[in-house]
Order: sequence, then C-alpha cells, then structure tokens
Amino acid sequence: MRSPSDVHLRVDHVTKRFGETAAVDDVSFEIPRGSFATLLGPSGCGKTTTLRMIAGFYDPDKGDIILSGKRINELPAHRRGTAMVFQDYALFPHMTVKQNVAYGLRVAGVANDEREKRVGDTLQFVGLAGLGDRWPNQLSGGQQQRVAVGRALVLQPQILLLDEPLSNLDAKLRVQLRWELRSLQQRLGMTFVYVTHDQDEALSLSDWIAVMNAGKVEQAGTPWEIYYHPRTAFLADFVGAVNIVPGTVREVRGDEVVVAFGERSVTVRRPAGLALSAGREVRLCVRPEALALRPPSADPDGVRLPGVVARRAFLGDLMRYWVTVDGREWIVDQPDPGAAADFDGPVTIAVKPERIHIIAEQ
Amino acid sequence: MRSLQREPGVLLALLAVIALVAIFIVYPQVRVVLTPGTTYVDFLSAGTWRTPLMNSLQVMALSTTTAVLVGFVFAYGMVYTDMHWKPAFRLIGILPLLSPPFVVAASYILLFGPRGVITYGVFGQTISIFGLFGIWGVQTIAFFPFAYQLIADVLSRSDARMEQAARNLGAGPWTVFRTVTLPLSRPGLGAAILTTAIYVVEDFGNPALVGGQFTVLPTQAYGLISGFGDLPGAAAVSTILLSLALLLYVAKIRLDGGQSFVTVSGRASSMPRPPVPAWLSWVCFAVCAALCGMILLVYGSLVVSAFTLTFPINTTFSTSHFEYVFSGVNGVALRNTLVYGLSAALFSSLFALLAAWLVQRGQWSGRRVMDFLLIMPAAVPGLFFGIGYATAFNEAWLDWLNRGVLIIISMIFWNIPVGYQAAVAGLRQIDRSMDEAATSLGASSLRGFRDVLLPMLGGSLRVGFVTTFVRAVTTLSVVIFLFTPGTTVATIRIFQLVNDLDWGGATAFTVIDIGLAIVALSVMAVITRGRIALGASRA
Repeated sequence: MRSPSDVHLRVDHVTKRFGETAAVDDVSFEIPRGSFATLLGPSGCGKTTTLRMIAGFYDPDKGDIILSGKRINELPAHRRGTAMVFQDYALFPHMTVKQNVAYGLRVAGVANDEREKRVGDTLQFVGLAGLGDRWPNQLSGGQQQRVAVGRALVLQPQILLLDEPLSNLDAKLRVQLRWELRSLQQRLGMTFVYVTHDQDEALSLSDWIAVMNAGKVEQAGTPWEIYYHPRTAFLADFVGAVNIVPGTVREVRGDEVVVAFGERSVTVRRPAGLALSAGREVRLCVRPEALALRPPSADPDGVRLPGVVARRAFLGDLMRYWVTVDGREWIVDQPDPGAAADFDGPVTIAVKPERIHIIAEQ
Repeated sequence: MRSLQREPGVLLALLAVIALVAIFIVYPQVRVVLTPGTTYVDFLSAGTWRTPLMNSLQVMALSTTTAVLVGFVFAYGMVYTDMHWKPAFRLIGILPLLSPPFVVAASYILLFGPRGVITYGVFGQTISIFGLFGIWGVQTIAFFPFAYQLIADVLSRSDARMEQAARNLGAGPWTVFRTVTLPLSRPGLGAAILTTAIYVVEDFGNPALVGGQFTVLPTQAYGLISGFGDLPGAAAVSTILLSLALLLYVAKIRLDGGQSFVTVSGRASSMPRPPVPAWLSWVCFAVCAALCGMILLVYGSLVVSAFTLTFPINTTFSTSHFEYVFSGVNGVALRNTLVYGLSAALFSSLFALLAAWLVQRGQWSGRRVMDFLLIMPAAVPGLFFGIGYATAFNEAWLDWLNRGVLIIISMIFWNIPVGYQAAVAGLRQIDRSMDEAATSLGASSLRGFRDVLLPMLGGSLRVGFVTTFVRAVTTLSVVIFLFTPGTTVATIRIFQLVNDLDWGGATAFTVIDIGLAIVALSVMAVITRGRIALGASRA
C-alpha cells in the first residue's frame, strides 16, 4: 500500500451518465505523485470522460475526485490547477505563440516582467525559442503541439492532463514527440495523466496504465503487467496481438496448473492470487512473438504444436504467420525475417510453458 | 445547474438575459394576444376578418409561387451556369435587400399609376393598377431577390462532389439535377419557400400602397387602428396574422431541423460543379438580365425622380428634394433613423451574442425554450411586434421614457434572431475545446468568453450588426404604431410622403435611406476585406 501522501490523484467510485448510458461506471484508481499515468482504451470506453471530470468539464454523478488529499468535485474548472493539452491543441487562433503561452499567466495576474521571463523560459524549454511571434496557423502540427504543452506547463500546474495529444500527428513525428513528452515529464517530476487509444504509446510512455472498457477499468498496473499478465481476454486482445485458446483446468499442483485444450494439455505457472480448481474453464493466452516456428521434424523443448501455415504477411521488422493447429488458427511472429528461415506447409510451433499466461474471468 | 452556482457572473448574465427576453419579447406579444379579451368572440363572429384572411392566403399563394420560381431560375443561373455578367447580377440582386420592400410599390405607382410614366406618359392610359394584381406583381419583384438569396444559399451548399460522382456514374446534367441535387436540397428549398411565404404574408407596405380596396390582414389591422382606433380589433386581426406566420415558421423549422442532407463542410468547395449545357446558361442569362433590368427600372426611376423637379412632367435636374429631406421634420427623421439604427444594431448584436453563448455553451434546463424565444421574433410580423410594444408600454408611469428609446428597444428585440443565428452559426464553428482551454488555463467562463470567443466571433458580430442596421433603417411596420412627431424615422416619412403624392420628397428620401444601408454594408465589406453574408430584411 502507498502512503496517502504519495497519492496525487484519487478517483473514487466515480460514475458519469449521459442519458441512459453510463459513460463512466464506478471507476476508482490512484495515481502516485510524479508518475506518468495513462488511461488507455478504445473509443467510447470512458477514458476521455474520466479525464474531463478530473479537469472539471463534467460533474460526476457519483463518487469523488481527490487531488492532493482534497475533494475537488465542487471546485470550478478554472480553479483546479489542472492544465490540459487538447487533442486538437485548441490554440487560440487570434493570439501569437507568445500570447497563447502567456494567456494563463495573464489571467492569473502575473506581472509583466515575470510573465515575459516565464514565457521565454517555457518556449526555450519546449524548443520553440524564436517562434514566439508566429501565429498558430503558421506552425507545423508538431510545433502547435509544443505550444499547447508549453501553454499548459508555464502555469506549473499541479498535474497536467493530456487528451490524445499526439493523435493528429503523422507516425514518425508521433514517436519522436513521445520521447520528448516522457523526458519532459521526468525532468519536471510532474504528474501527467495521459489519455490515448494507442497501446504502443501507452506501453512506451507510462509508469502506470489503466485500461478502460465500456466505462470500467479492466485492469490497472505497470505496462509490463498489462502486457504480459492481462486479467481479461479483452485486455489481452486490446494490448497487442495475442493467441487466446479456451481450456479446462485438469489439475492444480501447488504453483503449477495443468490445463487441457483440445486434445492437448500444458503445465503452466499459476498466476499469483488466482484461485483455481479442477474443472474450471480458463483461457490460455500467449503473445505471437513468444512462439517460434520449427521444421515439422524438429523436437524442441517445451510445448510442441504441429500445424500447417495458412498464410503469412511480411511486415518489415517481422514475418507474421497464421498457422492452423487442430482447426484453430495461431498467430506466430518471426523477428528479423531477412535472417530467419522461411516457412511454408507443415511446421511445428514451439513455445516455452512459462510464456503462456492463464486468464480466468468471472 | 451546478456549474452555474459555481460561477455567479454567468448566473447573473443569464438572469439578465432571461429577464430582458421575458419583458421585451414575451410580455408584449402576450399582451396583444390577450388584448381583445372577451371581444374575441364578438370579433370572430362578426366575420370581418374572413375576407382579409382569404385575400392574404390568395396573395401568399400567388406571390410566393412567382417569387420562388423566378428566384429559383436566378439562383440556378448564379450557382450552376457560367453565364456572363454574374458579378453585376449579384450586386443588383442584393439591392432590394437593402431597401424597404415597399419602395417597389412606390416605384410601381410612379411608373404604372394613374399618372404613371409608362401607363400615362407612354400610352396615355389611366387604368387602375390597384388591387390583387398590383400586389401580386409588386411583391413578386420585391421578394424574388429574397427567394434568390435563400435558394442560392441552399444550392451552393449542395456538395459538388456528389454531382461529380453522379456524372461519373453516367448521369446527364438533367438526371443529376433531378436525382441528386434536388433531393439533397429539398429540405433547404422547402424552408426557402416557407420563409418567402412569411415575408409575403407579413408584408404591410406594398399592400398598403397598391392594395386599394383589396385588404389583407396587415392592412386591415392598420386600418382598424388608424381609422377607427379599434385596438382590440387590430389585436385580434394581428393575432390571426401571427398564427399564420407561426404556422409557416414551425413548418420551416421542422424542415430545417429535419433530415437536411445538405452538408456544411468547408472542404467540398474546392471541386468545381459539372458544366451545364450552353443553351441553359443562355436561358438563365436572359431571365436574369430581364429581372435585373426590372430592378434597375424600379430603382432607376426612384433616383431619376429624386433628382428632377417634378418627375415625369418637369425633368429639370434639381437637388431641391434633397434639401427638403435634410430640413425640418425630415431632417429629424433622418437623424433618428441613423441613431436608432446604429444603437439597435450595436445592442442587438451584442446581446444576441451573449444570449447565444449562454444557450449554446451553458448547461441549464430551459435552454431549448430560450432558444425558441430568441428565434421566434423572426416569425413575428413587424406589425404585430409594433402593436405589442404600443400596447404593453403605453403606460402613464412609463411616460418619462423617451419614445425613441422604446423604438430602439423594439428594433433590438425584433432583430434578435438575426444576430442570434449568426452567433450560433459562429459558435458552432468553434470547438468547445477552445472554451475549455481557456478554462483549464485558469480563466472563468465569462473571462474565456471575453478573451477567446468574442474575438473569434467578430465575423458573426459584424453580420449581426450590419443586417440589424439594414433591417432597422428599412422597417416600416414595427415603428408605424410607435413613432411620435419627434421620433419619426425615414420609412415613416417616405410612407407619408407617398400617401401625400409628394413623389420628389419620397424618392429622395428613399435614395438616402438605401444609401445609408449601402454605406453600412460597404464600410463593413472594407473593414472585413471580404464579402459579408447579409441576412434577409423585410418591412
């Protein structure tokens, strides 16, 4: 357990309805101070609604939002100190870059000299020195994005909210700005709450991820936990490609579980905290990159699955195979296709049992 | 509601807007509807309203049909063909929007009246041109430009890409028009027809001047008050008129709000429309040229009359009519027109902007009601609105209030829909994230409105300002029950001078009144360095 003082933001049993549908349904989580926290999920999952309730643009129907130990439900949005970076940047088109960045300080009544200085420092900090007198429409997408970030950062907010700030940029720039945001956050030691539907972005940026679906938090934890130990099939499927196979628990031996699937069975590690008994329906889940292809005659260690290559796709950094095993298709990723052997026809899939993860949903 | 409690400034602004709308839009109208009281039964059973009602319906059917047909050809030519003289046609087509509609009637009498330039001067005839056919002809010329503006707006918003796609799939020009353009713009066209019908049915000036014995609802209401001092009767008649206009208006709103397929997207415009056959361009050109010739004849004869001694008998050049217009009661009227028009335009557009912001961006119950109340005056006949003010605020304890102030207020609130709709359209272009960005940076809602939205809504504000000004200086029906000798305005004087057959004074006054509107529009066009969309005006 964290001590309460380490918790910067606590969302406590928050519900928000729009008409009949609950956009956010009894959501709770805690975000530690100074962390890069991400709300990840498909569109309509409630992540943006949650962020907007933190910002004060929506009132929760139920539950509390607690910032630094204080309940802020009743605090108007402009008094929360939760600056936000918007998906479309929302730069004021009738103000120059400088005026945009200075706006929050002007509202706060910061004196001219200090304002000038802080705006200058911030522009320097986000790499826009010399562009202060440009108008927003004279900037590239990436530059606009930096203005949006600078405009929020200059206020030294308690917490920075970011609503899919990279989704309007092209792929290369998106990856580059990802690192800039991450290093910015680490240099400032500020708490970032970041909303995205892009799992790569979430995995590479975050200290902590909450994956949301249909208004609920499916699972929260480190990127590693989310990726390798998903608790639900939705989650496993949403974060990266995955093979999911239904099975039945045959036997539990201490920390090991024997699971039967089709005609086969496998012995895997029992996830901590998961009570299982014989006869329980579970799902086996394994990432495509954890599987390897071997010639049909090979006899590797671990689990062997004889199959036939149905089709394949060259993705540049990897070759993706769809292999039919007992009438079910498995996805297998082979890295570095240029150096690896090329497979077709009958093959054997090899997988180490420890790479297989059990999902047991209620 | 909770967000309002947290921001007392917004709450205060909202309460002020609600109070003003209740006092100056709702209350006067309720007063008119309730005025006849028990005499409703007597009045309705007496049946004197039946003929004017039938007449109004007849005129509405005839004038709307011809105005819309003619306006459609004009609009089609402007939007779809590459005919010659388009810029000139566009300019001439705007002219009637900048003048009191009843000047067409005035010019008509001048040209075709008992001593008309053409009927008497050319043909030596003194035929009667008054009555149904007079109204029909005059209203067709007076209102087709409105129909043209509305229809051209709808047609130009239809997506050229759809039409290109249809051509690409093998459809000819006529098939494209019949199967793509028309179905896509049908709701918009329906709304344009209904709007034109409202203008026609509410028109007071033209029937008053050329109607003769042929009485329609607005002229009957006016006659009951000015002739018999029968306020309850006039109130009853104008309530019938209001019901008719509201009926048309509700139908129009349903068409507007219904499944309008015409998409408003900024991107579609880059694609040119498929070409139309050359002969069609020429037909449109001929029709447009004839119509513009007619408009030029109407306004040209006014200008000639204004600058000659006694047109058409003595056509010696003279500026005496203008000297007359600038002196005495006429000078007062002119000054009042300018002062009232500018004040009304300023306050109306600002108030409309604030109201639009509260309705569009606020979260409070009753927004839909407020939205309706702010748009409704567009359907209220000016005559009804004027009677409402005359009834509601004709109180002894209000005597300290200058009548001019009352006229300004009536112009402010009668024109609210103009500024409101411009502001709503402007706000819809601005993503909510703009407001939220300001808020998240620490600005209160009102502060964000002032710093961020207001500067971005400059265009809407200007459209509201100019259109309200033009409508205020060209309206006759709103002020006809409100003015006093000291607070008379240009349109009233023109109307009186025409009735006195003082053609020189009337036409000179008209030229100046139209000049005011043109100057206002030009100044704005120069300031904005571009085109200004003008909401339709009417008397």
